[in-house]
Amino acid sequence: MIAAPAMAGVTQSVDELTALVSWKMEVGNFELELAQLLPDQTRAFFMARGFSKEIANRIATGCILQTIGRNSAGKGEQVAVDVDLKQWRMLHNGIEGSIKLKEQWESEWPAGNVSDTARLAFHWATFPTQQDFSSGDFGWGMTSFGLAPGRRFDLKVVWSVEGEEKEAWIKGIQCAEER
Amino acid sequence: MRQVTIQSILLLLLSWSSSAYSEQLLTPYKGAQPAPGFELVDVDGEKHRLSDYQGKPLIINFWATWCPPCREEMPSMNRAWQKVKDDVFMLAINVGEDEDTIFVFSADYPIDFPVLLDQSGEVIKQWPVKGLPTTFVVDREGKIRYTAVGAREWDDDALLEIVKSL
Repeated sequence: MIAAPAMAGVTQSVDELTALVSWKMEVGNFELELAQLLPDQTRAFFMARGFSKEIANRIATGCILQTIGRNSAGKGEQVAVDVDLKQWRMLHNGIEGSIKLKEQWESEWPAGNVSDTARLAFHWATFPTQQDFSSGDFGWGMTSFGLAPGRRFDLKVVWSVEGEEKEAWIKGIQCAEER
Repeated sequence: MRQVTIQSILLLLLSWSSSAYSEQLLTPYKGAQPAPGFELVDVDGEKHRLSDYQGKPLIINFWATWCPPCREEMPSMNRAWQKVKDDVFMLAINVGEDEDTIFVFSADYPIDFPVLLDQSGEVIKQWPVKGLPTTFVVDREGKIRYTAVGAREWDDDALLEIVKSL
């Protein structure tokens, strides 16, 4: 893993084996990591859980990043960190927008079009839209940024610590290319 | 190539999450609410109800085989079970998968305590779970006393002492 500082509190790393990139932000008691997933990895994951090739492909080419959030407060410190993906903003080609939430994906699949097993896997494999992290908790899941493979964007990450809102930008995130 | 890539991502996830073990934390559950009841079958088809598990503290873990931190913590849960099985109940509730999938998984990750199947996802909906893995510690009166979101090193003696005291 080769790591280089990107901006205050953010480190960008490139995996030597796969050349996939990840971005790790550490601010106070909140740590967030976003890691590229190849569209083919995501496609295979969802097809293996019952999605049709067409829908799995639609998800896979929607800029999926593995996302890991953590409350790093230590033992004896009870600090509440709350994350609500509805507050996150992405900036692409000068246009600010929202990320694509799991609820938006789920509403696109009419009843009978996606099996219950597949829906369940999608629901639990994607990062929760709203999550409270107590001290020592961490959560993971896929997040979808709705851009084509290879596109770049900046992400405004918003979270709160004990009810106080914080934000930070992670710049130059790139959706993984097809290989 | 795909295999190498998936292994690499898993390693990344594991290296990240293992740092969580530097501090063993359980979060006190606000209000000590009664745990939601359920009736589920295990991988052998046997029925289990929450009411079967009274009189001892209960660790109840929601998980899936494809969830990297779930895979990571399962060996420590099994070691914990070996340490406290006389004093504590332990259940793993798998979300959305079948017996065959768990059978394959358990060849690499032996699980000696009951694994229940929530194939429809109806039970997990009744519990305050937002992501996998999430684990609850229920006291001997059936009330949720602690939660843990994300993996823990469950065979930690200090953590198990907290559980046994409930």
